Amino acid sequence: MKKSTMAVQLKGSEAEVAGTLKSVGVDLSPEEAHRIKELIGRDPTVVELFIFDIMWSEHCSYKSSKHILKRYLPTEGSRVILGPGEDAGVVRLAEVDGERYVLVVAHESHNHPSQILPVEGAATGIGGIVRDVYCMGADVVGVMDALRFGDPDGPNAETVREIAAGVVRGIWEYGNALGVPNVGGDVFFDRRYDDNCLVNVIALGVAKEEEIIRSRVPAEARDEPYDLILVGKPTDRSGLGGATMASRVLDEGSMADIGAVQIHDPFLKRVLTVATAAVLAEVAKRKISIGFKDLGAGGIACVVSEIVDRGGFGAVIHLDRCHLAFEDIEPHAVACSETQERYCLAVPSHFTEAVLRIYNDDFELPHIYRGARASVIGEVTARRDVVMYWKGRVVADLPASTITEGISYDREAASRPAGPSEHVRVEVKNLKRTCLDVLGTTSIASKHYIYRHYDSEVKGLSVLKPGEADACVISIPGTKIGIATSVDGNPRYSSLDAYRGALMTVCEGLRNIACVGAVPIALTDCLNFGNPEEPRVFGDFTETVKAIGEAAKTLSAYGTDEPIPVVSGNVSFYNESSRGTAIPPSPVVGCYGVLEDYSVVSSLTFKEPGNLVLLVGRRKRGLGGSALMAVMGRDGEGRLPDIDLEEEKRGIHAVTEIVRCGLARACHDIGEGGFFTAIAEMVLGGWGTGRTGVDVSVDLGDGLAAEEALFGEAGGFLLEIRPGAWERVEHVLEKYRACAWRIGKTVPGHVLVIRKGDEEVIRLEASEMHQAWIGSIEKAMR
Amino acid sequence: MKPRICIVQFPGVNCEYETARALDAAGMDASVVRWNRADAAIEDFDGFVLPGGFSYEDRVRGGAIAAGEDIMAVLMEQAARGKPVVGICNGAQVLVESGLVPGPAGQRIDLALAPNKGMGRDGYYANWVFVTPGPEPARCVLTCDLEPEEVLPIPIAHCQGRFTSSDPGLFERLDGDGRIVLRYCRPDGGTPKGFPDDPNGSVKFAAAISNTDGNVAAVMPHPERGAWLRQVPVDLAGPWSETRSSVRTWKDMEGAGPGVRILRSIRRYIEEHKV
Repeated sequence: MKKSTMAVQLKGSEAEVAGTLKSVGVDLSPEEAHRIKELIGRDPTVVELFIFDIMWSEHCSYKSSKHILKRYLPTEGSRVILGPGEDAGVVRLAEVDGERYVLVVAHESHNHPSQILPVEGAATGIGGIVRDVYCMGADVVGVMDALRFGDPDGPNAETVREIAAGVVRGIWEYGNALGVPNVGGDVFFDRRYDDNCLVNVIALGVAKEEEIIRSRVPAEARDEPYDLILVGKPTDRSGLGGATMASRVLDEGSMADIGAVQIHDPFLKRVLTVATAAVLAEVAKRKISIGFKDLGAGGIACVVSEIVDRGGFGAVIHLDRCHLAFEDIEPHAVACSETQERYCLAVPSHFTEAVLRIYNDDFELPHIYRGARASVIGEVTARRDVVMYWKGRVVADLPASTITEGISYDREAASRPAGPSEHVRVEVKNLKRTCLDVLGTTSIASKHYIYRHYDSEVKGLSVLKPGEADACVISIPGTKIGIATSVDGNPRYSSLDAYRGALMTVCEGLRNIACVGAVPIALTDCLNFGNPEEPRVFGDFTETVKAIGEAAKTLSAYGTDEPIPVVSGNVSFYNESSRGTAIPPSPVVGCYGVLEDYSVVSSLTFKEPGNLVLLVGRRKRGLGGSALMAVMGRDGEGRLPDIDLEEEKRGIHAVTEIVRCGLARACHDIGEGGFFTAIAEMVLGGWGTGRTGVDVSVDLGDGLAAEEALFGEAGGFLLEIRPGAWERVEHVLEKYRACAWRIGKTVPGHVLVIRKGDEEVIRLEASEMHQAWIGSIEKAMR
Repeated sequence: MKPRICIVQFPGVNCEYETARALDAAGMDASVVRWNRADAAIEDFDGFVLPGGFSYEDRVRGGAIAAGEDIMAVLMEQAARGKPVVGICNGAQVLVESGLVPGPAGQRIDLALAPNKGMGRDGYYANWVFVTPGPEPARCVLTCDLEPEEVLPIPIAHCQGRFTSSDPGLFERLDGDGRIVLRYCRPDGGTPKGFPDDPNGSVKFAAAISNTDGNVAAVMPHPERGAWLRQVPVDLAGPWSETRSSVRTWKDMEGAGPGVRILRSIRRYIEEHKV
């Protein structure tokens, strides 16, 4: 491209270059600006600087993390159709009457925007993640939310509560209006999130395999002309620099980033979704190939370069042909703003008119939403450059691959001194009081205050709803297929020991899936950390990724010896404030399972008196990271329980088989809060509507203290088994050599009794446990 | 021949497709029809359902914009001829805003669906509740197939579901005419003693209200979300949850849930009141 008057002169001292970059309004370092000059052999234009600013941000380029992820995570398997790399991962669910159903899943964070503007930040988190799944040609059947907030009683109490309430509101306002059910999530309150909340969101979609659409221009574009169509909200300045904001530490100046937070609109998204379904039906009918991608980070510039580059093409774009919110908007804003509710389609020119008709006439986008419509903004070219025009002038001209490749950094990883190596002795004075305190811990207490804001039943697919069991289950209409979902993460574990904490997180997810008898088919991970330029932060990150890979490989899915593939995910660095308070290592892992026949599932609640209670999984030493330590004000002390993945695997596979065979009346995993919490919740019932009590003895052998047996968080399961089914259950346990014990019976009174030999260690009425367990979240959020 | 039902798809509704599946499962033949389809010949349908969602993103008030769309004039005329018109959740708001409920249409009656009250917080509330029919189930499109005093678990999901009026006499009259066709109740059918059995503070615990003839009705709970047994929560009180947690085959799980009792009423009403 000939030297444009728009070119930005990058010369002079480093300080001068830095000044120039700042005046343009980009975050690039002088060194990065130098690399750009080398790369394109001239001074870049303003538009080009903005494009690199975004594409080279941590958020888009994974410049610190990509080589680590590549090295450790298994991403392939016999069910995997599409691993990480595109908008969402795709895995096979099952085949029914010749129809091959697939699960489409995407997992992301929206942390910084939610800290600055909680309602908008969280809502656009949901809005963005569902677009990633819709644009694969799938229908979104569920969303999930993993939330981390500060200390509701700490020095920032007011802000923390405001953020927590705002985030939950943003999630329900968007999800409920769009009409996608919430199928699970979790929440943690911890002072280390005071300045930096975490909002991790997941979207799940279902499609038939042949309906999957790739985010790339199809090969057919070599033989016939293809148009690029932009549909949705009119482009404005909102979200300009959003990806860049997500890639730096939050400071006092961050309120100035408000313009970098996007504005959500679930109504327009719903209409777009229905209209797009009509377009895709037409595509299938006419048997034509298209490319389809949502607009997210980096707006038009990114979506166009990615969709054409992946297909091996280039594009000519006329930025002034985009439908705009207002006239006096600069070309770099049009090219790079992150205006929500927009998609880009690459379609053969002969089909363009039909697409415009469906969006603009049939569904009247311009009539029902000011400025919304579908517009042709350019065409696909064989020449592999992206050329952008603004009012007849070239404002950007770059090889598509140069834009999409990004850059990478090798960060220094320092392994921090391994967590405390000694087990600590803990003595509980008032056992009853402590039991109630543990049940009242916000991460253990009933989450009903949050999920009663969420619509979990729209679409009519639900089989198990939030709270009813360890995993949510939804069905595919007209089939026996059930999809089980769980999302987990425990900062108390990970801050004590990044490696073992991540192992325990993956195990927890797989146990939750096993509790409903499902077979895990995929994992997703959202890795939330501090500043990767800090060697210890990057060390924790590396250990975490190693551990997720190790667990995914060792804990093969029931009935296979294949690793469980990690098919989608996201890395979120710079989660710390300028005060230097970084969040603890916070991996959040999503786990997804399939049931060929969902009718075997049950809730975690004890069903009726006279049944046997089965404990699976050895109780172990190690109270570090436990809820008990937290309620005793000794969080951070001690050491995590030892974890033997082979033993975990045998337990998980045995329980999966027991539930699949319909032999369990109730099943619940032992995790946070330990054995006591698990059995107490089975008495209370997931929704607090239990009616059956229990009377059990715990074997405190192996030199375990009562505290360790009751509250230790080594993984395990509790199951309710009808006497008539016991023989078959025993057979399964032997088959898998699972460590299991028959520990007691369900009883008529609504009471929890735990004995040691003949001595009664605990006797709690359900009513007093309910009181401790039911109100904590509401107390923390209002 | 199965009754043909037209489900009106206003921009922003989001329950249209599962409502269609549920109506089909209850023995009808449902089609989703876009609000602006002039060519749809909707006069040929035997009945009409306005589904749940957020038509026009609840601009002004829930249902207010959709109530003014041309297609509502056609529905009023069809309702006047005795055909059933049922509004679920947002659809109920549209019927109230258009005056079709409590009716007579065109004549503005002081009825509103106000923000929920009584749960100790504002905003959206989604949960399962229990409802029971009014004194004369036989007269209404929503209840003609129900037993008197039958109790049904059913899900609600709304911010503004509180039937109310500034006309103190209105609910007395509606009650007297048996037009409060579904009421929130306790699991045993008894009168609620506050939240959560009374989920939103509706006057006289009204969950659904009909016009004089009983062929037009606005219902806040979602029968289509309780149309299959698998949708019933495992741990609620009452026979429906007991059945849910005891069945073990897919066929049983896909069997009729409590919502179908209401949807079958629509079918029966059409068969008994052929227009």
